[in-house]
Amino acid sequence: MSWEAEIKELERRRYLAKQQGGSEGIAKQHAKGRLTIRERIDALLDPDSFREHGRATASPVYDDNDELVEYAPANYVVGFGKIDERRVVVGGEDFTLKGGSPNAAGLRKSVYAEHLAVQYRVPLVRMLEGGGGSVKGSAKKGGTVGEPVFTEPRFKIIADAMSEVPVISGAMGAVAGFPAGRLVASHFSVMTRHTAQILIGGPALVERALGVKMSKDELGGAQVHASSGIVDNLAEDEYDAFAQIRRYLSYLPSSVYERTPRYDSDDPVERMEQALLDIVPRESNTPFDMRAIVNMVMDTGSFFEIGATYGPSQICGLARLNGQPVGVLANDCRFYAGAMTAEAAQKYRRFVETCDTFHLPIVNFVDQPGFMIGPESEQAGTIRYGMAAVAAAAQATVPWAVIQVHKGFGVATAAHYAPGAYVLAWPSVESGALPLEGGVAVAFHREIAAAENPEAKRKEYEDRLREGRSPFPRAESFAVHELIDPRETRPLLCEWVDWIQPQLDTLVGPVRFGMRP
Amino acid sequence: MARHEVESEVTGNVWKVLMTPGAAVSEGDVIMILESMKMEIPVESPSDGTLAEVCVAEEQQVEEDQLLAVVEA
Repeated sequence: MSWEAEIKELERRRYLAKQQGGSEGIAKQHAKGRLTIRERIDALLDPDSFREHGRATASPVYDDNDELVEYAPANYVVGFGKIDERRVVVGGEDFTLKGGSPNAAGLRKSVYAEHLAVQYRVPLVRMLEGGGGSVKGSAKKGGTVGEPVFTEPRFKIIADAMSEVPVISGAMGAVAGFPAGRLVASHFSVMTRHTAQILIGGPALVERALGVKMSKDELGGAQVHASSGIVDNLAEDEYDAFAQIRRYLSYLPSSVYERTPRYDSDDPVERMEQALLDIVPRESNTPFDMRAIVNMVMDTGSFFEIGATYGPSQICGLARLNGQPVGVLANDCRFYAGAMTAEAAQKYRRFVETCDTFHLPIVNFVDQPGFMIGPESEQAGTIRYGMAAVAAAAQATVPWAVIQVHKGFGVATAAHYAPGAYVLAWPSVESGALPLEGGVAVAFHREIAAAENPEAKRKEYEDRLREGRSPFPRAESFAVHELIDPRETRPLLCEWVDWIQPQLDTLVGPVRFGMRP
Repeated sequence: MARHEVESEVTGNVWKVLMTPGAAVSEGDVIMILESMKMEIPVESPSDGTLAEVCVAEEQQVEEDQLLAVVEA
């Protein structure tokens, strides 16, 4: 007697478990312009690389004769796969079954995803679409309730994963409740512009609690979250989201225990862009294009921006220098002169913590006029978030390079320096406690007020101080490593990348704490 | 005819209005210059067309997302 009968039955059950919500459920999902979880996994991963865990998970129903009459698949699909030939864990809710609200085995598998990624030290990619818990099924009388009191909190592994492996989430449809919490507990998140919403509580909950009638899109559509900071990037469609996820992972190691892969670069390290010489205008109130500077210095085409529409005075992104992945920070003076707002500070702190977790060197292009001032900024608690950004930088352990491009004023500037930073200054650098214009108004207010023509007096002070401003003393005083020709920035940074290789080798390993959402 | 609303990305003052309603505009033409945090921020036309409305005056204070001008393409 062989076990052939059981094997046949197992194959049948595995087949049934792959049927998701049946042809009707799948057709409904497609009609909404959305892929099913299995289609998403196939589109994200390298071809034929998915290795599912729990292939026969389901809720079976038997009749009186012990015949299987119903087989509802677990509505969370999880397993290993490969992205650019590197192993990852991928998981996501099956929205065609119970709207992604977890059934028994589905819940177990969703919790398992984080454990799997941490145990095998590989990145976790979540494809989120679901509504979290439901009161249905929790009304059963008798039996045990809740989890055993000594069970480890379910959220611990979610926090732990963020200090061990890259965690990426994509919102592919309505993501509410617990799944929305998972989305923000990620190093990088992306949502589809037209088909996703992210909500703590959906329209029914909001109307019941607050009497406010709003659609899912009004509450948590892309137009809300492009500037709420809940999601990093928007994607035009699901395929764009998969492409962004694959790209993000190309800059990161598989876990804190490994070095980031360094790909060969065919961009010459000696490349010097002529345009860098005059990109910063001599008039300090004329804005310039910081992204153009970043793109000219980094390996061509390697800059991948994160969170561009949230806290836009601060630019964050990943790029490569002679093939070495680096975190890039830069100020965009077209938004509040590049000042650190509460939003910019939160984006900054999370990004520095992410780079620190994965031992990614940071290159910081500084044009910082200070913390944002004014009534809205005070009300937003800017200086608290700003000091959190300063603390993240001050305690960062990764190699750090600073390019003093233009302004560097006030306490906020401290957020741009980490211990041991390699500091290069352009001739356009200006720095101090306060920008000249505001600083004169404060420091010489008596003299200005007493003058016959206060406006002329103010201008006289400003002009006199401006004339006395020179980039040379900081080089002479060794207050910077070098005062440089802006065109030398790329060659010098590529050389620095060589210097830091031994440090990057020894930095791998566990971190004290990772990025906290 | 497409109507493009041009909104302020920052809180600040209108420093100079460079065009009057009815003017033909090309994408990227500077309609006005705002001043915010001592920076001069150009406000550009989002498309080719006609400047239909200018909704603010020089020295007026503006807030984030406030309507500045309308371009009809």
